[in-house]
Amino acid sequence: MTLAIKDAFQRFRRTPAFTGFSLFVLALILNAAIQGPAKFLSPRSFNTLLATNLPFLIVVMGQSILLLVGTLDISIGIQLALVNVVVVMTIQEWGVSFWTGCLFGITASLLISVLLWVSVSIFRLPALLASFSMTYIIKGINVLIMPVPQGKIERVFYRTYDRLLFGVVPFSLLIFIFVLLIWYYFKRTRFGTNIYAVGADRRNAFAAGISPKWVTLQAFLIKGLFVGIAGICLTLLTASGNPIQAEDYGIKSLSACIIGGLGFGGWGSMACGLFGGSFLIIIQNTVYYFFTMLYKLIPGFSVTTYWHNFVSDVIIFLGLLMTIVTAKGQREALRQGIAQQLKQKKEDFGGKNGSNA
Amino acid sequence: MFEMRGIEKRFNAVIALDGASLSLSPGEVLALLGSNGSGKSTMIKVLAGLVAPNQGEIILDGQPVSINSGYESRKLGIATAFQDLSLIPTMSVMDNIMLGREPVNSVGIVNRKGAIQEVRELLERFEIQCEPDAYVQTLTPSTQTMLEVAKAVALKPRLLLLDEVTAALHYDEIEVLFRIMRELKDEGVAMIYVTHRMDEIFKICDTANIMRGGKTMTQSPINELDLDEVVFHMTGMRPEAAKKSETEDSFSEEGRELILDVSHLEMLPKVRDISMKAFKGEIIGIGGLQGQGQSEFIRLVLGAEKIEDGSIEFCGEKVSFASPAEAVKKGLGFISGERNRDAIFHLRSVEENLTTGLVAKGNLASFLSPAKLASFSKKAVERYNIVLESIKNPASTLSGGNQQKLVVARWIAMDPILLLLDDPTKGVDIVARQEIHKILRECADEGMTIIISSSESDELLTIADRIYVFFDGQVSDMLEGANKTSERLVASMMGLSKTMATEEA
Repeated sequence: MTLAIKDAFQRFRRTPAFTGFSLFVLALILNAAIQGPAKFLSPRSFNTLLATNLPFLIVVMGQSILLLVGTLDISIGIQLALVNVVVVMTIQEWGVSFWTGCLFGITASLLISVLLWVSVSIFRLPALLASFSMTYIIKGINVLIMPVPQGKIERVFYRTYDRLLFGVVPFSLLIFIFVLLIWYYFKRTRFGTNIYAVGADRRNAFAAGISPKWVTLQAFLIKGLFVGIAGICLTLLTASGNPIQAEDYGIKSLSACIIGGLGFGGWGSMACGLFGGSFLIIIQNTVYYFFTMLYKLIPGFSVTTYWHNFVSDVIIFLGLLMTIVTAKGQREALRQGIAQQLKQKKEDFGGKNGSNA
Repeated sequence: MFEMRGIEKRFNAVIALDGASLSLSPGEVLALLGSNGSGKSTMIKVLAGLVAPNQGEIILDGQPVSINSGYESRKLGIATAFQDLSLIPTMSVMDNIMLGREPVNSVGIVNRKGAIQEVRELLERFEIQCEPDAYVQTLTPSTQTMLEVAKAVALKPRLLLLDEVTAALHYDEIEVLFRIMRELKDEGVAMIYVTHRMDEIFKICDTANIMRGGKTMTQSPINELDLDEVVFHMTGMRPEAAKKSETEDSFSEEGRELILDVSHLEMLPKVRDISMKAFKGEIIGIGGLQGQGQSEFIRLVLGAEKIEDGSIEFCGEKVSFASPAEAVKKGLGFISGERNRDAIFHLRSVEENLTTGLVAKGNLASFLSPAKLASFSKKAVERYNIVLESIKNPASTLSGGNQQKLVVARWIAMDPILLLLDDPTKGVDIVARQEIHKILRECADEGMTIIISSSESDELLTIADRIYVFFDGQVSDMLEGANKTSERLVASMMGLSKTMATEEA
């Protein structure tokens, strides 16, 4: 029994998600220690943490899919604002129901994804530049639709988003599980393996009868759906519209994926993105409580919130460094393994030859 | 059943296929032969749907077909095992084998349990020892190659293409492969088999199709051919009529200064056991098929790769350079065939490109007068006959041959003791090539030792005093004096003459 667990752990250690997982656990322990375990583990505190950060977490999932298929999207953050603006404005201006508004929001997000796919996959523009310029295009569209922050949504919806069901289960957790299930389905289909093939080597995937363009489009569409859902969560969280929010989610989601152990194309898994994203969230939370603690401990101590960001970003940078160390270790282990196999073969081979002669 | 007629393929100015053709029937094993760059691999790629021909027709069961993608190729019942492998290293063995044809249920979910049984049986049939969920990148190159073949066979094709798969395989693995090929033959599968190993074609193939320069020279039953005949069609020369080399003087070690002495060099998987000697003022040729360890050997000597076993003595001193920069300091020079990647600064001027070597040699802060640099470049341009508009123009304005002359000039200006050249005339026209040869010969006469690796036999026969032929990471033959014939070179490139033992003794 213990042997089985040990074996499973050894296998997990070799997966790409291991770095992200260790960082996540480390951050978790740190957070619990600083905030106090009882408080940290309380359902209410967990509810707040998840509800506030769910949009980001879902965006990271979308970004992970793109990284797996070998592309990326910097404008993914501002796309949240687009969904937010579309949902709020269609309700306010056209008088549609909340649900219809959501459908419009998701459609807008899907359209943007298709547009990006056309520029990246058909016109072969570098994904980084194409999506970076897309940031400004989307920002323009947002401001055209909604010049200044405004609007509201019905109380019943945003209250539900924050709610703790039966006093223990956050409603946002249900949304998160719903999104995870969507991914789980796609992962089990042919798309789930083809995405790796296309991400790692387009030519070989093509030779195996896969259409890299079609697989990339699928990835962009799933990402579009996820961004749509994340945008709706953001709308429920803020209960109003803002055309220029969440832009930094683009670069932040990217760093979350890299910290989690995703490579550019065909290496890693969704777990990498999720651990990386959660690490980022927990570190920010920890640093916030760390400074609160300092305020209490040292009378008269006061700093701007820039210091919060400074400390958390230094930690994130250290996390990034750690991915290099572990990646190097994995590569070295791999190389030694192959060299050993070869030497073994050579000896076998030599032995056979000798007996023949 | 299957035929290709008048296939033509041009990559801009380069003609890869020029009216190539072949035909085969079910259960037939066709050997597709030819020297490097004769268009074999392009033919395979046309059938695999990776390269669209400019002209010609492909006929299957009497119907003309077009193959525009890997998908269409598979649908016609064609499966390919590629020379450079089409496996995805970051995916598991099982995912690779099932890639593109995973069994799915009604809601599109892949049935992994059903697939794993099929994969296990396949691995057993090919005697591949690995777990279905192992990542492909953790396997040895030869296992990966077996897997590549297994993946193609698993498609149950009517036509199986095997592009130089045995190049990376071991003796016992080749036996397994041949057993499976015979089984497939009995099942009526047609196979096109590309190889450089001549002994194999007489063992397994029914017919041979020989290509040269993108053209099909002949297609005839294997029992009507012998090795001489094959070599004739490949090189266009009767072995007995092969021209004698120009440098006939017999070679003796006595009284010559030993510059480089390499013994039992090893860097797995490419370099297995290489020993060679180079004397002052000598031009040493390194021959062999592509990827037999030539580049790796040169990079080992240069210190760009780490030596795993064996030793290198340079000017009587045991050395192991930590980096190419250190090697250059000690008097080595290196010219790569990959101009674009390794040597030319495209956007900088011709003059800057010429003088980089000099600049690197001096102290970091030592002053270089513009006049001195200009006069140096001008002399170099004249001496090496580099055709250009102005030395201030960017290097990218020169033709390929002139760019290569520029790199040669840069290094010779540094006056190295030992100059290493890795396929320096790749893609260089014949005139520029001859000029480069002339320059090298002049330098050798002045006492420089030169080691030149080349994939072209003619070039080696013309320029080199002695030729070491690499095969499978080892020296398969050393040619000098009267032995330096095209026939013997081609034969040893195929690993046929194992005179190494007698050489050593």
